[in-house]
Amino acid sequence: MNQAYNDRTAGEKPAVIALEGVSFGYDPEHPILHDINVSIPQGQWVSIVGPNGCGKSTLVKLLNALLPKSAGHISVCGHTLQEETVQSIRQCIGMVFQNPDNQFIGQTVEEDILFGLEGQCLSYEEMKERLEFYTGKLGIGHLLSKHPGELSGGQKQRVAIASILAMKPGIVIFDEASSMLDEGSRDELMGILRDMQAAGSYTILLITHDADEILASDRVLALHGGSIAADVSPAELFRDAELLEKCHLREPYTWQLARELESRGITVDVPASEKELIDTLWQYNYSK
Amino acid sequence: MAIQLQQVSYTYADRSMWKQTALHGINLEIAEGSLTGIAGATGSGKSTLLQLFNGILKPTEGTVQVLDVTITAGEKSPRLLPLRRRVGLVFQFPEQQMFEDTVEKDLCFGPLNFGVSLEEAKARARKSMTDMGLDLALLERNPFRLSGGQMRKAAIASVLAMDPDIVVLDEPTATLDPVSRAELIALLERLCREQGRTIIIVTHRMDELLPYADNWVLLKDGELAFQGSGGELAADPAILERCGLRVPQSLRYWQAAAERFGLSGEKPLLTAEGLAGRLAALLEERRTLNASGTEEMGNGHE
Repeated sequence: MNQAYNDRTAGEKPAVIALEGVSFGYDPEHPILHDINVSIPQGQWVSIVGPNGCGKSTLVKLLNALLPKSAGHISVCGHTLQEETVQSIRQCIGMVFQNPDNQFIGQTVEEDILFGLEGQCLSYEEMKERLEFYTGKLGIGHLLSKHPGELSGGQKQRVAIASILAMKPGIVIFDEASSMLDEGSRDELMGILRDMQAAGSYTILLITHDADEILASDRVLALHGGSIAADVSPAELFRDAELLEKCHLREPYTWQLARELESRGITVDVPASEKELIDTLWQYNYSK
Repeated sequence: MAIQLQQVSYTYADRSMWKQTALHGINLEIAEGSLTGIAGATGSGKSTLLQLFNGILKPTEGTVQVLDVTITAGEKSPRLLPLRRRVGLVFQFPEQQMFEDTVEKDLCFGPLNFGVSLEEAKARARKSMTDMGLDLALLERNPFRLSGGQMRKAAIASVLAMDPDIVVLDEPTATLDPVSRAELIALLERLCREQGRTIIIVTHRMDELLPYADNWVLLKDGELAFQGSGGELAADPAILERCGLRVPQSLRYWQAAAERFGLSGEKPLLTAEGLAGRLAALLEERRTLNASGTEEMGNGHE
């Protein structure tokens, strides 16, 4: 790891991603991103939020040169992004896209997941082990022999996620990769990410609009009009009505409920469960 | 009835080694001018069901009746063009239905194809862009240069531009930001209530649709597991778990409140605002009751 990219303000861990003065535009008159400066330490879980069209997907695509930056300096995993380093940078980033159809290559689910692993020259046993582990975790073990075309939207998303996670990339980037999963599957996915983060070797970037996903992260980068409008914790975000409005976000249902109650003169903590809230209200005493 | 399915089954790649039955013996009725939500675990057959509604897929068994068109398995199907104009379908991935080099051309394609004049088509394109909250400047843009969320809105706009009687949407809010999501749901509700259109929405976010939907259809492994109102669903949320779905938060909180405070007979309040209002009123009621009680008893406590 190149110590030159240490960011003292971000803690003791070295920055695994650093952007300085980065801009991008399809045409120069309408820049999509303008002068982005941000540093992400190794092991952090970051949510990237903002209204539709604010440049979230563009920002992450710049990191591994899927799109060419028009100005600025990007470094990932100690490599300064330039033509010679693109290969090394791409090896440490695993990206799951919005639409899983954009990343299928194999004839079957199994082939598709193994493709990335073969590229890493892993042993047969290692590949088999990872295949079993990640397909098991994502509940797609029964789909291994299926053609991607036979899968439903949500199943495709799980396959895309499994094939990226199985490569164990140092940086995992999800571009609204859970948008088509039901609530239960999304919770499971968050659990997997939490385990990965706890293992310490993963940096996670999640583009999301989902309040519960944001709540699970360490840090929120809010994009607005092509710039970083706020760099805050999830709790700070959800307490800031103006920022929420600006980012087109809503707080989690439980936060909403607590706020609505408060505006009616009933002060309660954000409830952890429906039972907790109803118990509190049942015993609620105004004179308190 | 806008849509009626009788004993409908659908099998992919029928007569091949890879055949796979996605829907089994579905009986379903969707009333004209209603707003219906469809939910089910991934792979339960939701997207397959939608594609039966405008004849993209034809039933392997049974009869599908949409408006005045009847498609029966094994019989020669009637002309589907009029049906396609009246039933607009928005797919899961919007980039799969955009193909022109400007957004405007894409939006005009449908109306032009159904015999509308260019002028009228352009006017409709502008109106549906405005309805979707999209900047008219984007009309000149290449659709593939839009962001994911903008593309989704443009895809929905291109279907609305055809002025369909039935609008069928497959997870329309998946990649929209929450404000756009709420706006879209509000727009669809207006199309339903004010213009009498039939709206059918497949969703994984039941929370955002629960306050508005007249009816719910739940699928489990390709079979119909439930059909009924939101109120009926609220009365027995366990059905959701049997379908492999999580009970939405708004429903869990309402159920807990209803049980403790004895509200079970009431119409479920499924927004935070609605529930908070009702709870605050209940506490206030209790307080006044206690206060008057204390006065009479004469033994007040702090």
